[in-house]
Amino acid sequence: MTSWLTRGLPLCFLSVSLVLLLSPLCEGILRKIRAAIHSRKGPPLTQPYWDLLKLLGKEDLRATSGVFCALLPVLTLASVLVLAMLVPLGTAPPLDSAGDIIVVLYVGAMSSIMIIMAGFASGSPYAAVGSSRETMMLLSVEPTLAVALAVGAFKAGTLTLGGITEWQVRNGPSISMAVAGVGFFIALQAVAGKLPFDVAEADQELMGGPMIEQSGPRLALFRWAMWAKQLVLAVLLVELFCPWPHFGIYPLDLIATALKALAVLILVGLVDVVNPRLRTDQAMAYYMRVAVSSLAALAFAFIGK
Amino acid sequence: MQTTDQGITTRVKEVITARSNGALRSTAQPHVDTLHFTIEKKVLPAVVDGLVHELQARFMTSVGTDKRSLTGDFGISHLFSLDRDHIYVIIESGVSEADLRIDSITPIVPGANWAEREFRDAVGVYPEGHPDPRRLLLADDWPEGVYPLRRDVPYNYQPPPAEHARPELRPPPPGTSVLPIGPFYPVLEEPTHCRLFVEGETITGCDMRGFYNHRGIEKLGDSVMTYNQISHLAERICGICGFIHSTCYCQAVEKAAGIEVPARARYVRTIMLELERIHSHLLWLGIAGHIIGFDTVLMQTWRIREPVMWISEEISGNRKTYGMNTIGGLRRDFPDDLKPKLMEILAVVEKESIAVRDAIAGDTTLLARTKGVGVLTNEWAKKTCAVGPAARASGVAIDARVNHPYAAYNEFRPRMAIQEWGDIWARVLVRMDELLESIRLVREALAAIPAGPVCAEVSQEIPPGRIGVSVVEAPRGEAVHLVMTGGENRPYRWRVRAPTYQNLQALPAMIQNETIADMPITLGSLDPCFSCTERVETIDRNTQQVRVYSRTELLELSRKKTRGGGMR
Repeated sequence: MTSWLTRGLPLCFLSVSLVLLLSPLCEGILRKIRAAIHSRKGPPLTQPYWDLLKLLGKEDLRATSGVFCALLPVLTLASVLVLAMLVPLGTAPPLDSAGDIIVVLYVGAMSSIMIIMAGFASGSPYAAVGSSRETMMLLSVEPTLAVALAVGAFKAGTLTLGGITEWQVRNGPSISMAVAGVGFFIALQAVAGKLPFDVAEADQELMGGPMIEQSGPRLALFRWAMWAKQLVLAVLLVELFCPWPHFGIYPLDLIATALKALAVLILVGLVDVVNPRLRTDQAMAYYMRVAVSSLAALAFAFIGK
Repeated sequence: MQTTDQGITTRVKEVITARSNGALRSTAQPHVDTLHFTIEKKVLPAVVDGLVHELQARFMTSVGTDKRSLTGDFGISHLFSLDRDHIYVIIESGVSEADLRIDSITPIVPGANWAEREFRDAVGVYPEGHPDPRRLLLADDWPEGVYPLRRDVPYNYQPPPAEHARPELRPPPPGTSVLPIGPFYPVLEEPTHCRLFVEGETITGCDMRGFYNHRGIEKLGDSVMTYNQISHLAERICGICGFIHSTCYCQAVEKAAGIEVPARARYVRTIMLELERIHSHLLWLGIAGHIIGFDTVLMQTWRIREPVMWISEEISGNRKTYGMNTIGGLRRDFPDDLKPKLMEILAVVEKESIAVRDAIAGDTTLLARTKGVGVLTNEWAKKTCAVGPAARASGVAIDARVNHPYAAYNEFRPRMAIQEWGDIWARVLVRMDELLESIRLVREALAAIPAGPVCAEVSQEIPPGRIGVSVVEAPRGEAVHLVMTGGENRPYRWRVRAPTYQNLQALPAMIQNETIADMPITLGSLDPCFSCTERVETIDRNTQQVRVYSRTELLELSRKKTRGGGMR
């Protein structure tokens, strides 16, 4: 217990504050890249911070009453931050003892479910359609995520994320983990709400979907949660499937992870900017194929590749 | 000017004489390509049936005119086009005040639906047997029994404020719920109200209420403004194809008055019309990309389009709304020294457009969103009298530049871009082909442009009682203007029909059984222009700016504002 207080607790603080502070910057970098491909100048890198600040300073208008609805934005951000503490960041996860890949899957889905509930609760038909689309996307993406994590657990013989990373560092790249990693990356595109899979928010069809009735500080928290989530999942991707080079020196590993995660996000951003939006049924069919293909990773893992 | 085959004129006369069964009152040929028949209203359906089924005439629009001061009754004219024979046929019937009814032709020509509702609203002649006789044009709080296009209603009449005014809405079919698109909707730049009846995500039907932009431009034209002023009003009907409307109006008056436009003016009109098509198609492609979330296409096509706007500004003084047209030709000549620059710009636009076309043709996600989606079948395209790229993408070979050549299109025949499948992708392909074809046309016109005057002397008063029909192929399809000349230096009646007016009527058939996600792009693929359809004018009167900014300065200022909020 004392060892957790001296090691785990500071790491928790560090993970949470890094995710909170850096996720708007990542979003800023993504916006810059999108602008470059559009032949635009783009907003300054710090714009997401100003967006948050402005939204947080606005009046809190609610479409619905009820304590639970009022708490939804806070709970959404909180669930993402819990996820941040369960994910390795340069070293074993701060809450490694508290949760394995199964907990990660549940906590990861929590924020999506909160957003779905916020949409249904707001009473707008656009939000209702957006929420039902988000539900369908969540259901289509989860199998791929689960298979990818299961491959890691199978290879490393442990359910903890820290254990899988450690095994990867020790044993080097393998075919099964590479295939699983690709599956995870494709799933990340949808979980981060990026094109061609941003069917739930679909600005031009649903005007933001579940988010349509959200404004001011509530919108700020939802936004922040979504930016944080894409960063945390990118970190999870690189830590599980590409933890090399591993220096063994914590600050160096931290910086390497951060840079690799940024690279992953940039890749996600590039896919986003060169694709139009799929229809929900097309996106779901796509993920069904991805889930089936990612079973190949399990097969490779069984034969020891 | 093209010549009309005498044989077809005789044939049209024969068919109408036979179908009218002795009720043909008069026959006239107001212009070499226009035939005008006056019949008794009781034989109207029979005559229309003969025109449509025996002569394959295509319905264009209807005009309701208050002729009580001339003939004692209301004139209802239906305008048809015989595309292959290059002639227009006008069928007019008088409706007396004692019996304000006329048989509806919508059961024969479904595309006449809105046109008939419009003359009901405007002059109060009721189309009997119309399947959907709800209000179309007038606002919901406009009083019953006041028909704005009647001559005794002053142009500045203000109805008393009404309370509890509501549109007549169709109830959704059982088992469906209503998803409103509009009146304000983010992907539509203008208001319209489309109520989708949906089962889950599938659209089973829809109900439309539009005309929120109606501002009575036609009324202004026949009660306040003069011939030469109207060309400027016509140009402001649309913010994208303004030159098309002003050309179309001027041509209608020129035809009615028998004014011969100098060759150079016809060439310059052709060049400007095609430049409008180039920038409009690029604009459309960008918006279509934006609708399906492909903002990279939007940003790139609009960047490619921008030099066309700049050269238009150098030619006319304005990016849009050139103000170049007048009755008899042009108010402003094309500066010959801009030719090389325009050629250079065309080369760049052509190269970059081809690059964009090739990029999107290889995008599988984009193909998945556009192929087989929003299909307008050939049969429905003909029934609803769809026009422009929407019709051509469904295999209907109509193009006003070919069917009714105007300006210099007799000298440069455009190659019609036709596709068969009628889906959104086909409409994309048609527009991309047309874009490149327009570049060719501008090049040829530039190379062959003759010297000389650009405006005919119009010394005599324009005689009253003449009729002129003019059609211009706008980027969205044909725009139709019909002018009946009057006294006091203004038209007695000026009728405008924009292409979207017909194409929107085809929309319900296109979105049937599609999903909600396909609705915006399907509507967008028509390139709808509500202000055209509803004939609106907007004027910005806030800026009385004296300082002149250069383009670079303006760009810098807007960037500064984006960055630091310095100008707030």
